[in-house]
Amino acid sequence: MKQMLYIIALCLGLASCADISFAMLYGGSGEYNFSNADLDTAYHIDEEKIHLFTVPSEDDTIHGMYLGDFSQLENDTIIVYLHGNGPSMDGFWSTVAVLANIGHQHRYGVVMYDYRGYGKSTGTTQNAASMAADYDAVMLWLEHRGLTSDRMVVFANSLGSLPAGPAAAGGSRITVEKLVMEVPQSSADVIMQNATGLSLPSSMITEYNFNLGQDMENYPGELLWMHAEEDDVAPVETARSAMRRHEGTYYREEVYPNVGHGLRWDIGNEEWTRVIHEFILN
Amino acid sequence: MSYKPFMKKSIWVILAAFVASCTPTKIVVPLEEGQVQVGATLGRPKINSGSLPLLGIYAAKGVSESTTAYGAAQLSSALFGAIQLDGGVVKSLRPSQGFTPGFSYSYGGNVFFSARDYAVRVYPEAGANMFWQRGPHILNVSVNSWVDPTWFLAEYGRGQILAPSLGAGYRLRYKWLEVQAEYKVVNPTREIHVPQAYVPSTLGLGGRGFYWGAAINF
Repeated sequence: MKQMLYIIALCLGLASCADISFAMLYGGSGEYNFSNADLDTAYHIDEEKIHLFTVPSEDDTIHGMYLGDFSQLENDTIIVYLHGNGPSMDGFWSTVAVLANIGHQHRYGVVMYDYRGYGKSTGTTQNAASMAADYDAVMLWLEHRGLTSDRMVVFANSLGSLPAGPAAAGGSRITVEKLVMEVPQSSADVIMQNATGLSLPSSMITEYNFNLGQDMENYPGELLWMHAEEDDVAPVETARSAMRRHEGTYYREEVYPNVGHGLRWDIGNEEWTRVIHEFILN
Repeated sequence: MSYKPFMKKSIWVILAAFVASCTPTKIVVPLEEGQVQVGATLGRPKINSGSLPLLGIYAAKGVSESTTAYGAAQLSSALFGAIQLDGGVVKSLRPSQGFTPGFSYSYGGNVFFSARDYAVRVYPEAGANMFWQRGPHILNVSVNSWVDPTWFLAEYGRGQILAPSLGAGYRLRYKWLEVQAEYKVVNPTREIHVPQAYVPSTLGLGGRGFYWGAAINF
């Protein structure tokens, strides 16, 4: 018995505080050279409508981008795009350009930003609290420029669903009334359990706990869930279980067969924008 | 879209693999009574186009001619704030004679403890080994399964009670030294899924990889 206690004490001493989140989150460098040369002509953005900005988030600086005229923030619908797990906003430039041009050229203002440790944003994203702080910093920037909840659409792609969930569940200073979840994850525990085949909680390896099913249960607004049947990054079964916990004012799901996590590229811009625009106008 | 280097991307898989019922088969042929073995194991589960290092240590003692008790700790998990211990016994059913294989079986348990929120999980396990021993050379085929008594805690009803593994290997037990190599197929009853990583599988199920071990006998 004494030996066993020694072993346990030794293991406790060996147990470090390393967190798996540093490996889950692929933040990297960003150039922020947003050029029409990278875009299909149908989705070009006038240079004067591309605005880069920074906001403070606790001790860090968040870099963001706004596409559109600032006057739109006061009187038009704005899409807040929470990007996926790529190094920086650079990888999502073509996506936000499409969003800005849904309906007709420069129809919607679009905001996007890099989480801590992504692109030029300083610091490191470690947990739900840092994600929430970064989101709130951008919300504050938008609020000061006149954006109100009835004109805001939050669009979360993959990793972006992590800050979007708690925000929709009441954690947003500008209340979320319309939310698009595109290829979202479901929960940190599900990721752990899918990776191990055991009923292990994610706390075994990370403090980054999230539960989008719980968030959707607490989100009263409108939800559009878009997913791919063959998604090998965010399995459709568990995402479906999480999204269908939503009991808000409106729910729509679009699940596409024979396509993967890169949904927009797989289904094409025409179908992608059709569904999103119908939801925005709903 | 560019990504960070392979190792950084794959730490998830390290954690996934070491817990996925794939600790190496430590003892196949029970030790002699009173004999003590201290060793280290290195799991190399495959991920993407490479393999990953999962390090563990163990100690075993022959408590009788036919029974060996062992205890082990997985060091890779400790790095991320989880204590993973396992222990059990291996019992001989019959020795190997010529081409006639010997048999042994094992049972024990695995304990996981989170240093973050003190969550605990306990997974009993049982296994059987068929082996051929000729002098210092031992060939083995092993089956093992962890039992998940808290399968119902898995989200969205995705838990499974059994987490089996299959292995085949060779070990050299020569005087004070024992070395082993084993190829294992783990969790072949379900799809192992790690975001943004490819886990080589068997017919789309489970994971697989080589496991190595080295030990000193006293």
